[in-house]
Amino acid sequence: MNTTIDRVSPEVAVLALDGELDASNYRELITTGSSLYADGARSLILDLSNLAYMSSSGIVALHSLALIFRGQLPPDPEAGWAAIHAVSADTAAGEAADQVRLVNPTPAIDSVLERTGLRRILPVYPDRNAAIAG
Amino acid sequence: MTPPSTLRIQADLGRLRDVRRFVREVAPGLGADELAVRDLVQAVDEWVTNVVVHGYRGAGGPIELELARSGDEIVARVRDAAPAFDPATAPAFDPDLPLERRPAGKMGIHLIRLLCDRFEHRVPAGGGNENAMVKSTRTAPNRTGGAA
Repeated sequence: MNTTIDRVSPEVAVLALDGELDASNYRELITTGSSLYADGARSLILDLSNLAYMSSSGIVALHSLALIFRGQLPPDPEAGWAAIHAVSADTAAGEAADQVRLVNPTPAIDSVLERTGLRRILPVYPDRNAAIAG
Repeated sequence: MTPPSTLRIQADLGRLRDVRRFVREVAPGLGADELAVRDLVQAVDEWVTNVVVHGYRGAGGPIELELARSGDEIVARVRDAAPAFDPATAPAFDPDLPLERRPAGKMGIHLIRLLCDRFEHRVPAGGGNENAMVKSTRTAPNRTGGAA
Protein backbone atom coordinates (compact mmCIF):
# COMPACT_ATOMS: atom_id res chain seq x y z
CA MET A 1 0.00 0.00 0.00
CA ASN A 2 1.22 3.49 -0.86
CA THR A 3 0.24 6.63 1.04
CA THR A 4 0.32 10.23 -0.17
CA ILE A 5 0.11 13.13 2.27
CA ASP A 6 -1.43 16.48 1.34
CA ARG A 7 -1.16 18.96 4.18
CA VAL A 8 -3.91 21.38 3.22
CA SER A 9 -3.41 23.48 6.37
CA PRO A 10 -1.46 23.17 9.64
CA GLU A 11 -4.53 21.57 11.23
CA VAL A 12 -5.79 19.45 8.35
CA ALA A 13 -4.00 16.59 6.58
CA VAL A 14 -5.29 14.49 3.70
CA LEU A 15 -3.86 10.98 3.55
CA ALA A 16 -4.59 9.12 0.32
CA LEU A 17 -4.32 5.32 0.43
CA ASP A 18 -3.51 3.32 -2.69
CA GLY A 19 -3.44 -0.49 -2.82
CA GLU A 20 -4.48 -3.01 -0.19
CA LEU A 21 -4.68 -2.48 3.58
CA ASP A 22 -4.28 -5.67 5.59
CA ALA A 23 -2.59 -7.15 8.65
CA SER A 24 0.84 -6.78 7.03
CA ASN A 25 0.72 -3.00 6.78
CA TYR A 26 -2.00 -1.53 9.04
CA ARG A 27 0.50 -0.52 11.70
CA GLU A 28 2.30 1.64 9.13
CA LEU A 29 -0.93 3.57 8.64
CA ILE A 30 -1.27 4.12 12.40
CA THR A 31 2.35 5.32 12.55
CA THR A 32 1.85 7.74 9.65
CA GLY A 33 -1.31 9.16 11.21
CA SER A 34 0.37 9.45 14.62
CA SER A 35 3.21 11.42 13.06
CA LEU A 36 0.75 13.83 11.47
CA TYR A 37 -0.97 14.31 14.83
CA ALA A 38 2.37 14.90 16.54
CA ASP A 39 3.13 17.48 13.85
CA GLY A 40 0.03 19.49 14.70
CA ALA A 41 -2.69 18.05 12.47
CA ARG A 42 -6.02 17.83 14.28
CA SER A 43 -8.20 16.63 11.40
CA LEU A 44 -7.29 13.65 9.26
CA ILE A 45 -8.99 13.10 5.92
CA LEU A 46 -8.46 9.53 4.69
CA ASP A 47 -9.02 9.38 0.94
CA LEU A 48 -9.98 5.76 0.19
CA SER A 49 -10.72 6.29 -3.53
CA ASN A 50 -7.82 4.10 -4.65
CA LEU A 51 -7.86 1.60 -1.81
CA ALA A 52 -8.80 -1.70 -3.44
CA TYR A 53 -9.07 -3.90 -0.33
CA MET A 54 -9.34 -3.51 3.43
CA SER A 55 -9.39 -6.28 6.01
CA SER A 56 -10.49 -5.96 9.62
CA SER A 57 -6.90 -4.95 10.40
CA GLY A 58 -7.64 -1.79 8.44
CA ILE A 59 -10.64 -1.22 10.69
CA VAL A 60 -8.28 -1.51 13.66
CA ALA A 61 -6.11 1.19 12.07
CA LEU A 62 -9.09 3.52 11.54
CA HIS A 63 -10.28 2.89 15.09
CA SER A 64 -6.80 3.68 16.44
CA LEU A 65 -6.49 6.86 14.37
CA ALA A 66 -9.90 8.06 15.54
CA LEU A 67 -8.70 7.75 19.14
CA ILE A 68 -5.32 9.34 18.40
CA PHE A 69 -6.96 12.36 16.79
CA ARG A 70 -9.10 12.74 19.90
CA GLY A 71 -5.88 12.94 21.85
CA GLN A 72 -6.25 9.44 23.28
CA LEU A 73 -3.87 6.54 23.04
CA PRO A 74 -5.49 3.63 21.23
CA PRO A 75 -5.58 0.23 22.89
CA ASP A 76 -3.08 -2.31 21.66
CA PRO A 77 -5.08 -4.72 19.47
CA GLU A 78 -3.19 -7.60 21.06
CA ALA A 79 -3.69 -6.39 24.64
CA GLY A 80 -7.21 -7.71 24.94
CA TRP A 81 -10.22 -6.50 26.85
CA ALA A 82 -8.39 -5.01 29.84
CA ALA A 83 -6.85 -2.24 27.75
CA ILE A 84 -10.15 -1.57 26.05
CA HIS A 85 -11.96 -1.21 29.35
CA ALA A 86 -9.22 1.10 30.61
CA VAL A 87 -9.81 3.41 27.67
CA SER A 88 -13.58 3.33 28.02
CA ALA A 89 -13.36 4.26 31.70
CA ASP A 90 -11.63 7.54 30.81
CA THR A 91 -13.99 8.77 28.14
CA ALA A 92 -17.61 9.61 27.58
CA ALA A 93 -19.25 7.00 25.41
CA GLY A 94 -21.01 7.84 22.19
CA GLU A 95 -19.13 11.04 21.36
CA ALA A 96 -18.88 11.90 17.67
CA ALA A 97 -15.55 11.09 16.04
CA ASP A 98 -15.34 13.66 13.25
CA GLN A 99 -11.62 14.36 13.64
CA VAL A 100 -11.09 11.47 11.23
CA ARG A 101 -13.16 11.58 8.04
CA LEU A 102 -13.35 9.04 5.24
CA VAL A 103 -13.61 9.84 1.54
CA ASN A 104 -15.12 7.78 -1.26
CA PRO A 105 -14.69 4.14 -0.17
CA THR A 106 -15.36 1.51 -2.81
CA PRO A 107 -18.59 -0.48 -2.34
CA ALA A 108 -16.53 -3.43 -1.05
CA ILE A 109 -14.80 -1.33 1.59
CA ASP A 110 -18.00 0.48 2.45
CA SER A 111 -19.45 -2.96 3.15
CA VAL A 112 -16.62 -3.71 5.59
CA LEU A 113 -17.19 -0.36 7.30
CA GLU A 114 -20.90 -1.14 7.61
CA ARG A 115 -20.46 -4.70 8.87
CA THR A 116 -18.02 -3.64 11.57
CA GLY A 117 -20.13 -0.67 12.66
CA LEU A 118 -17.50 1.92 11.77
CA ARG A 119 -19.79 3.45 9.17
CA ARG A 120 -21.90 4.74 12.07
CA ILE A 121 -18.89 6.17 13.92
CA LEU A 122 -16.70 7.84 11.29
CA PRO A 123 -18.30 10.25 8.79
CA VAL A 124 -17.99 9.33 5.11
CA TYR A 125 -17.89 11.98 2.37
CA PRO A 126 -18.12 11.65 -1.42
CA ASP A 127 -15.02 13.79 -2.11
CA ARG A 128 -12.10 15.52 -0.43
CA ASN A 129 -13.55 19.03 -0.53
CA ALA A 130 -16.71 17.94 1.20
CA ALA A 131 -14.66 16.16 3.86
CA ILE A 132 -12.40 19.18 4.41
CA ALA A 133 -15.43 21.43 4.73
CA GLY A 134 -16.88 18.95 7.22
CA MET B 1 -16.96 -32.29 -5.84
CA THR B 2 -14.41 -30.95 -8.33
CA PRO B 3 -10.72 -31.59 -7.63
CA PRO B 4 -9.46 -28.99 -5.15
CA SER B 5 -6.85 -26.34 -5.90
CA THR B 6 -4.30 -25.94 -3.15
CA LEU B 7 -1.91 -23.22 -1.95
CA ARG B 8 0.71 -24.05 0.67
CA ILE B 9 2.52 -21.24 2.48
CA GLN B 10 4.47 -20.60 5.63
CA ALA B 11 2.60 -18.48 8.16
CA ASP B 12 3.71 -14.95 7.35
CA LEU B 13 1.58 -11.82 7.05
CA GLY B 14 3.61 -10.93 3.98
CA ARG B 15 1.94 -13.85 2.17
CA LEU B 16 -1.60 -12.51 2.64
CA ARG B 17 -1.55 -10.86 -0.76
CA ASP B 18 -0.70 -14.25 -2.30
CA VAL B 19 -3.59 -15.83 -0.42
CA ARG B 20 -6.02 -13.22 -1.77
CA ARG B 21 -4.63 -13.56 -5.29
CA PHE B 22 -5.09 -17.35 -5.14
CA VAL B 23 -8.74 -17.04 -4.15
CA ARG B 24 -9.39 -14.35 -6.79
CA GLU B 25 -7.85 -16.56 -9.47
CA VAL B 26 -9.37 -19.91 -8.51
CA ALA B 27 -12.88 -19.14 -7.20
CA PRO B 28 -14.33 -17.77 -10.47
CA GLY B 29 -13.30 -20.98 -12.23
CA LEU B 30 -15.29 -22.91 -9.62
CA GLY B 31 -18.40 -20.94 -10.52
CA ALA B 32 -18.41 -18.28 -7.82
CA ASP B 33 -20.05 -15.04 -8.90
CA GLU B 34 -18.31 -11.70 -8.40
CA LEU B 35 -19.76 -11.01 -4.98
CA ALA B 36 -19.12 -14.55 -3.77
CA VAL B 37 -15.48 -14.21 -4.84
CA ARG B 38 -15.20 -10.92 -3.00
CA ASP B 39 -16.65 -12.38 0.19
CA LEU B 40 -14.46 -15.48 0.00
CA VAL B 41 -11.33 -13.38 -0.53
CA GLN B 42 -12.10 -11.41 2.61
CA ALA B 43 -13.13 -14.41 4.70
CA VAL B 44 -10.01 -16.41 3.81
CA ASP B 45 -7.77 -13.39 4.37
CA GLU B 46 -9.33 -12.83 7.80
CA TRP B 47 -8.90 -16.44 8.84
CA VAL B 48 -5.33 -16.85 7.58
CA THR B 49 -4.47 -13.63 9.43
CA ASN B 50 -5.97 -15.16 12.56
CA VAL B 51 -3.90 -18.32 12.15
CA VAL B 52 -0.67 -16.37 11.65
CA VAL B 53 -1.22 -13.91 14.51
CA HIS B 54 -3.13 -15.96 17.09
CA GLY B 55 -2.69 -19.60 16.05
CA TYR B 56 1.05 -19.58 15.53
CA ARG B 57 1.53 -16.36 17.56
CA GLY B 58 3.92 -15.06 14.92
CA ALA B 59 6.26 -18.04 15.29
CA GLY B 60 5.51 -19.45 11.84
CA GLY B 61 4.27 -22.82 10.66
CA PRO B 62 2.58 -24.42 7.68
CA ILE B 63 -0.74 -23.26 6.28
CA GLU B 64 -2.60 -25.07 3.53
CA LEU B 65 -5.50 -23.44 1.69
CA GLU B 66 -7.73 -25.62 -0.44
CA LEU B 67 -10.56 -24.39 -2.65
CA ALA B 68 -13.12 -26.74 -4.14
CA ARG B 69 -16.69 -26.76 -5.39
CA SER B 70 -19.28 -28.99 -3.75
CA GLY B 71 -22.72 -28.82 -5.32
CA ASP B 72 -23.70 -25.16 -5.47
CA GLU B 73 -21.14 -24.15 -2.88
CA ILE B 74 -17.48 -23.19 -2.74
CA VAL B 75 -15.58 -24.70 0.17
CA ALA B 76 -12.40 -22.96 1.34
CA ARG B 77 -10.49 -25.17 3.78
CA VAL B 78 -7.60 -23.79 5.79
CA ARG B 79 -5.39 -26.32 7.56
CA ASP B 80 -2.72 -25.47 10.10
CA ALA B 81 -0.61 -27.15 12.77
CA ALA B 82 -1.28 -24.60 15.51
CA PRO B 83 -2.90 -25.51 18.85
CA ALA B 84 -6.54 -26.48 18.40
CA PHE B 85 -8.94 -23.54 18.43
CA ASP B 86 -12.61 -23.59 17.49
CA PRO B 87 -13.65 -20.10 16.33
CA ALA B 88 -17.21 -20.91 17.39
CA THR B 89 -15.97 -20.37 20.95
CA ALA B 90 -14.87 -16.78 20.22
CA PRO B 91 -17.04 -14.13 21.87
CA ALA B 92 -19.48 -12.28 19.63
CA PHE B 93 -18.41 -8.84 18.40
CA ASP B 94 -20.95 -6.03 18.82
CA PRO B 95 -20.67 -3.60 15.86
CA ASP B 96 -22.97 -1.14 17.62
CA LEU B 97 -20.52 -0.33 20.40
CA PRO B 98 -19.32 3.30 20.48
CA LEU B 99 -15.72 4.05 19.61
CA GLU B 100 -14.46 4.11 23.19
CA ARG B 101 -15.91 0.75 24.10
CA ARG B 102 -15.03 -1.17 20.95
CA PRO B 103 -12.34 -3.80 21.04
CA ALA B 104 -9.43 -2.84 18.84
CA GLY B 105 -9.48 -6.25 17.20
CA LYS B 106 -11.76 -9.31 17.37
CA MET B 107 -13.55 -8.40 14.14
CA GLY B 108 -12.14 -11.04 11.81
CA ILE B 109 -14.30 -13.92 13.02
CA HIS B 110 -17.31 -11.58 13.14
CA LEU B 111 -16.76 -10.75 9.47
CA ILE B 112 -16.27 -14.39 8.46
CA ARG B 113 -19.59 -15.30 10.08
CA LEU B 114 -21.31 -12.59 8.02
CA LEU B 115 -19.46 -13.33 4.78
CA CYS B 116 -19.94 -17.10 4.68
CA ASP B 117 -22.95 -19.38 4.83
CA ARG B 118 -21.14 -21.77 7.18
CA PHE B 119 -17.88 -21.69 9.14
CA GLU B 120 -16.91 -25.11 10.44
CA HIS B 121 -13.99 -26.31 12.55
CA ARG B 122 -12.59 -29.74 13.15
CA VAL B 123 -9.42 -31.16 14.59
CA PRO B 124 -7.84 -33.58 12.06
CA ALA B 125 -6.55 -36.95 13.26
CA GLY B 126 -2.97 -35.67 13.19
CA GLY B 127 -3.78 -32.55 15.22
CA GLY B 128 -3.88 -28.88 14.28
CA ASN B 129 -7.00 -27.34 12.80
CA GLU B 130 -9.12 -27.51 9.70
CA ASN B 131 -11.54 -24.64 9.22
CA ALA B 132 -13.97 -24.69 6.32
CA MET B 133 -15.59 -21.52 5.02
CA VAL B 134 -18.55 -22.45 2.86
CA LYS B 135 -20.16 -20.00 0.46
CA SER B 136 -22.90 -20.35 -2.12
CA THR B 137 -21.61 -19.76 -5.64
CA ARG B 138 -24.33 -17.17 -6.20
CA THR B 139 -24.86 -14.39 -3.70
CA ALA B 140 -28.12 -12.47 -3.34
CA PRO B 141 -27.44 -8.92 -4.58
CA ASN B 142 -29.86 -7.08 -2.30
CA ARG B 143 -28.21 -7.55 1.07
CA THR B 144 -26.28 -4.90 3.01
CA GLY B 145 -23.19 -3.80 1.12
CA GLY B 146 -24.17 -5.74 -1.99
CA ALA B 147 -22.62 -5.62 -5.41
CA ALA B 148 -21.81 -2.27 -6.92
